Amino acid sequence: MEANDNKKSLTIVEVIDDGPLKISGNIVLKDLKRDIIDNFTEILLCRCGRSGNKPYCDSSHKC
Amino acid sequence: MESQNKTFSGGRKYSNGEITVYWKPDACVHASYCYRELIEVFDPGRRPWVDMSGADTDRIIEVVNMCPTEALAWKWNDENRNKNISIDQTNHINFRRPELIITEEQPVQENTVSVKIMIDGPIVIKGDFTFKYSGNNKELKAGIISLCRCGASYHLPFCDGAHRKVGFEDK
Repeated sequence: MEANDNKKSLTIVEVIDDGPLKISGNIVLKDLKRDIIDNFTEILLCRCGRSGNKPYCDSSHKC
Repeated sequence: MESQNKTFSGGRKYSNGEITVYWKPDACVHASYCYRELIEVFDPGRRPWVDMSGADTDRIIEVVNMCPTEALAWKWNDENRNKNISIDQTNHINFRRPELIITEEQPVQENTVSVKIMIDGPIVIKGDFTFKYSGNNKELKAGIISLCRCGASYHLPFCDGAHRKVGFEDK
């Protein structure tokens, strides 16, 4: 793989208004409750507390 | 020797005669390890919120060392005992936590952002990233943010500890 331009942060953490947290880049996710460690390049995380698939968003905030 | 000790301006101190625990509120990201592990000592609903008589010294040290930020730190009151501190005593005042120091040699880790889902608590994000919210666009280098996951914070998108008050349960 060619070296990327590393000067800028490659990861973007974006709070979507009235919606989830979107993270894209090189992510190591550690879920302490479920004892899971995983790598992702894009995730949507629940911010409303209502998701049935925590920590991920399942669009329950729209209900 | 260079003095790299953490500074505690504006912070508070609590002692049980054997150790002193330092509390620096503006460094806290509400990761909530302290009160989840040891509510007898660290109770955010009590004033003062730290009660050093709630557990023995070893247990208090153990829990202070879990704090992922520099909000909680400790030292022995007997200065002689502060001279030989093992590296696993991460929150002893003579240590800077490695992940909070500017990252220089982490080729593999470069640009990797750590996202921690705290138990019944916030999302704690660490690393180099661009943080976008409500029209803001911030470049964070070795940054750390704690974001609300329960929806009850008064300081959205940030965590303000409200998950504890509303009894947020991640299930």
